[in-house]
Amino acid sequence: MSGKNEAAVKTRKKPLGLRIKNNIGFYLMFLPVFIFVLIIYYWPMLGIRYSFYSYKLRDIHWVGLEHFKNMFAAKEFWIAFKNTLIISIVKLLLNTFAAVLISIFLNEMTSLFCKKFIQTIIYLPHFMSYAVVAAIFTLFLSTSSTGMINETLKSWGWIDKSIDFLHTPSMWQPVFYIINLWKETGWGTVIFFATLSGISPELYEAAEIDGATRLQKMRYVTLPALSNTIIIVLILNLAKVLNIFEPVFVLYNNRVFEVSDVISTYVYRKTFLTAIPDYGYTTAVGLFKSMVGCILMLLSNFASKKVRGRGII
Amino acid sequence: MAEKDTKEIQTSEKEGIISDAVEKTAKAVEKEDKRSTPKINMVGDKKPSKIKLFDIVNYLVFILLALIIIIPIWKVVSDSFNEVGVYQFKLWPTKPTIGGYATIFTTTRLYRPFLNSVITTVVGTLVGLLMATLGGYVLNQYDMPGRSAFSYFLLFTMIFSGGMIPEYLVMKQLHLTDNMWILVVKHGMNVYNLVLMKNFFEGIPASLYEAAKLDGCSPMQIFYKIVLPLSKAALASIGLMFAVTVWNDYSTVQIYITNPDQVNFQYKLRVMIMDGDTPTTAYKVSQSTLYYAGIVCAILPFMAAYPFLQKYFVTGVNVGAVKE
Repeated sequence: MSGKNEAAVKTRKKPLGLRIKNNIGFYLMFLPVFIFVLIIYYWPMLGIRYSFYSYKLRDIHWVGLEHFKNMFAAKEFWIAFKNTLIISIVKLLLNTFAAVLISIFLNEMTSLFCKKFIQTIIYLPHFMSYAVVAAIFTLFLSTSSTGMINETLKSWGWIDKSIDFLHTPSMWQPVFYIINLWKETGWGTVIFFATLSGISPELYEAAEIDGATRLQKMRYVTLPALSNTIIIVLILNLAKVLNIFEPVFVLYNNRVFEVSDVISTYVYRKTFLTAIPDYGYTTAVGLFKSMVGCILMLLSNFASKKVRGRGII
Repeated sequence: MAEKDTKEIQTSEKEGIISDAVEKTAKAVEKEDKRSTPKINMVGDKKPSKIKLFDIVNYLVFILLALIIIIPIWKVVSDSFNEVGVYQFKLWPTKPTIGGYATIFTTTRLYRPFLNSVITTVVGTLVGLLMATLGGYVLNQYDMPGRSAFSYFLLFTMIFSGGMIPEYLVMKQLHLTDNMWILVVKHGMNVYNLVLMKNFFEGIPASLYEAAKLDGCSPMQIFYKIVLPLSKAALASIGLMFAVTVWNDYSTVQIYITNPDQVNFQYKLRVMIMDGDTPTTAYKVSQSTLYYAGIVCAILPFMAAYPFLQKYFVTGVNVGAVKE
């Protein structure tokens, strides 16, 4: 959001009242945006005060830091916190790694048509919602006679008994990562392709003259060109690691809570699946999440400024 | 030439130029690709077998990759037309039927969520575009007093939020729970897209505004007579981003809506599959046929539009990723 300050300097000669009057049309145009943002973003911020209240049904009374004490003492909360970090970070690293690998090798494809064609296909799953992707894989991985994957594996003689992929704690995370790789890797390559299209062909020619092989060119020209973008992608996503909700929510179930429950799903369950929820407690958990998220955002903004001289916000 | 463009991408502050630069570079690379192809072959003359092997393996790996993506989708489509469930690795319907689709569009509690999805997506996209364009346009008025205050006002929401529960309590007070318009309210204002829009608008030459101002155009007139007509590509790509988000939203419905008349199709589909709930139907179809037909209905709008609109889908992300 930088630049063009010169224009502001020029007009500073005029009195403020006149400048406001001249821009009255713009203020009117901003009004709907202002009201909208106020209602859906700022109004809820007032609700943060409930973190310090007990809020059950219509009974609201002050409890001070009680909720935070309970939260830090709850085993469930720490499991959710740990899972959030593991799931988000492993997912981020795997998806980025796979996207970089695909971009580098797809970049080597000599036929432009094939390249475009493959790109079109691998972008597809991104436009399916998590709910749909989860529905597809839940059906495919089902243990009943309708589960395609178990039935196929059985008919090939690879397994004797159906495996309940989504209900076995040791299986759940790997399956989650694979499903996410299937859905998002292709789309993750978009940003790397934008960078690759900017690499000067002269670099490749120079490497060729120096006798570099195809793999050497990929290693010493393509990969270094991507390194900055890789760091940026990691930084940008670091700020959002705690926000993960829908991808987990649509795939988890009560038999795998200990490996799949994340903070947002924990908040959801404590609020909407409890007979008499204490909105105060779940607000407190949400506040903790927002605070950590805010710190991460500022950190990654700082890191982004260091790496590319420009913040992310 | 290409190198200069690259530098521009990395350092330019005037972000409007970048998309042009990216396009130019892409074209330059395309040309270069064609030109350099024979060169690779020339190098290949020295050790032809190795180069060939690499290409073959590369193509095979990518064909395999494409199949991994396509087969699940194809399997869903194929099974949605299959009257009986054949659950093994068969990729063609054995007893073709369109009963699954017929069931969905004749059962009220299945087609109503579909209509809800269509309505909220259309309205949500229009509201989203209106807010993003208005906000983006105003944020570009650098001689307007309070401009930077406005942008901090917007950007703060990207750093900090009230969280799921306070938001829920506010929406409850506004009587937006159990109401499908919550989807429009939740997605109609997107600060990230607003900033993208602002960046797009920065590419419009300032002289055009000046000229229009001299001709006596009001800010609003400049907005819809000059800014909007010049931003059709931006409107298309950001509009698509809004449409995809609203159409694909499931968690908002899960959190805010319990009334079955107000849910959207994503939610209905998931509940149907998870609860194993199937409506009684006049058509002879197996349960899974119906589920797969539902999945196809949920993904069809964008799958069908996507190959033609890919350019717009990708531009949005590139601009967001490279610029912001």
